[in-house]
Amino acid sequence: MIEVKELSHSFRVGKKGKETEVPVLKELSLKARDGEIVSIVGRSGSGKSTLLHILAGFLQPDTGRVLVDGTDLTAMNEAQRAAFRLERFGFVFQNFQLMPGLTAFENIELPLTLKGVPAAERKRKVEELLESTGLTEIRGHYPNELSGGQQQRVGIARALITEPPVIFADEPTGSLDSETEQDILNLILSLNRKYGITFVIITHDDEVAAIANRQYRMHDGELTEGGLRHVV
Amino acid sequence: MSFKDQIGFVRQHIRRNRLRVFMTVLAATMGTAFLIVLASVGFGLQKTIKDDILSNQMVTQIEVYSEDMTDAKTDAMKEIDHVEAVVYRKQLVPVVMGEVEGHTGSMNTHFTNFGDEQASGFKLAEGRFPENQGEAIVGSKFAEQLVDESVETAEDEEPAYFEGELIGKTVNLSFSESEDGAETVPLTIVGIKEEPGKDWAFDGYLYVDQSLIGEMETAYAATSADLPEEEDMPFTSSQVNVYADDLANVKAITQTLKDDGYSVYSVSEEIEQIDVFFLALKAGLIFVGTIAILIASIGIFNTMTMAVTERTREIGVMKALGAGPKLIQRLFLMESAWIGIVGTVIAVVISYGVSFAANAILPIVVDAALGGETGDSFEVTFSVIPWQLVLIASAISLSVAMISGWRPARKATKTDVIGALRHEL
Ligand SMILES: Nc1ncnc2c1ncn2[C@@H]1O[C@H](COP(=O)(O)OP(=O)(O)OP(=O)(O)O)[C@@H](O)[C@H]1O
Ligand SMILES: [Mg+2]
Repeated sequence: MIEVKELSHSFRVGKKGKETEVPVLKELSLKARDGEIVSIVGRSGSGKSTLLHILAGFLQPDTGRVLVDGTDLTAMNEAQRAAFRLERFGFVFQNFQLMPGLTAFENIELPLTLKGVPAAERKRKVEELLESTGLTEIRGHYPNELSGGQQQRVGIARALITEPPVIFADEPTGSLDSETEQDILNLILSLNRKYGITFVIITHDDEVAAIANRQYRMHDGELTEGGLRHVV
Repeated sequence: MSFKDQIGFVRQHIRRNRLRVFMTVLAATMGTAFLIVLASVGFGLQKTIKDDILSNQMVTQIEVYSEDMTDAKTDAMKEIDHVEAVVYRKQLVPVVMGEVEGHTGSMNTHFTNFGDEQASGFKLAEGRFPENQGEAIVGSKFAEQLVDESVETAEDEEPAYFEGELIGKTVNLSFSESEDGAETVPLTIVGIKEEPGKDWAFDGYLYVDQSLIGEMETAYAATSADLPEEEDMPFTSSQVNVYADDLANVKAITQTLKDDGYSVYSVSEEIEQIDVFFLALKAGLIFVGTIAILIASIGIFNTMTMAVTERTREIGVMKALGAGPKLIQRLFLMESAWIGIVGTVIAVVISYGVSFAANAILPIVVDAALGGETGDSFEVTFSVIPWQLVLIASAISLSVAMISGWRPARKATKTDVIGALRHEL
């Protein structure tokens, strides 16, 4: 369970000495229960990505707290947050962010390698996941030898491999055509049902937001809860 | 992340930038090899000079000087630890002429104790040691002391030296050149001393037992009436050599003798001075060589800075997935360490090759340049690479590699995740 309390953040922009403060997040609160799909919709520049970056621990907020199962992420130092991410979070990015020097197999394997999982166990887990996500065929391909949809499937598999309780996704279908988008959404839904993984998805697309159980709307740094839709 | 996986990761990065890494390793190799070869010349010259000293001298010999040497004092020296022998020679000061079968010459006469001489390593080439009064031993070039003056020889010709068997012959010693009336002391030659180790040493001495001093003094007294008065001149001057049982003990014995107030000279003194000189020389050469490594380090710095910049996005992804700053730093430090290690290993191999080649080829070149005059005796080691030099060079090269990789690695850990993820490749 993720709880955000009175979170505020502003960026300092402009030349040195003549900086101006641009408030991006304004005292917002958010909640995501275990096993929910939470969506955050909003117009470009409304602060969605900034919020996700704070949730993931990439960025320290000016004020406010981020509690993950009661642990305050904002009280940790960089190394502690990195270790926490490795243990608890998975990430799916709009532009996939696969390592260009690694094959699909090795990309999916990477979080396990970082965790220090022995090679034999890594191989077994990745092969299992390749099978269940239908990626076995392209396991030896490098990212530049894959289509956008395939790359995002690899990206999702990489987020999934450590079996994290929470996966953050920033515009996961933003670079894909609508048919491929549907594929990816179905994959997310099935993973959510099968493993009970919590998803926090950022999108500007109402169709994507529609798969969420809990929907938030972001407007000028303020968050309002839209509708709550229970799992059928 | 396990160490093995870290290595795999670094290797994958290196493989992707083979050419750039190769050029950097090449620079590191050249710098380190330059350092090793340069310093090896210092080690080589030191070895050459030390070997030269040790092969040309009685290295265990300690020369002792004293105004008033006595038998009691030399006996006391025999009691010092690790002293094998003490030889107390008295050299005759007044000029004495010797004559063997019509050949004459001035005699450089030493009174000594043959027992002590034998203990110190005095060896004969022929004959035996004196057993009776009136017997003597001569140096290997004794014959060249004796010239037949009646034979006329040209300026550039060798004088008419004594030729033939010396053993069994009689040497007649006298203090006056005019033979009539002069008191003569006849001595029988019973042995010839072994040639000295040094090629240039000339041993034309006459060795007799010290008991003969009395007889010689009488002879001198009888003739000195005819000779000009030389009051202050002593009859003999003394020369004391102490022999250590091993080169390693020379230094301690030298010190003991110095503490007892003697003036002392031994090879250990000379070697110590040489060592100090070469220590300074080697330090200087290593310093110059280190500059070459520092120049190579600029290459490592550049390569690593480029690697970090190029991989900004990848570093961002790694950090986003949960790689800590320590791991990121270690991965980059390992990469610069890899460059340093490979560079050093290749440099060591090349240096041994260059050193071997220099020692094989340079003496031939120098020999040819000098018109082949140096002959067999020309034995110079130009380059020696002891393991200590390899250790020092490796330490310098690796530390420099690590230091130049340090800043780029720090820069990598400071990579901002959000900025990096936005980074376009
Ligand atoms: N590093 C930064 N420095 C200064 N201002 C920033 C920085 N990052 C974001 N901003 C500003 O914060 C605001 C919110 O940006 P953010 O990326 O969160 O928007 P977003 O909702 O994700 O938009 P989009 O849908 O286009 O991705 C923007 O006005 C942006 O200019
Ligand atoms: Mg965004």
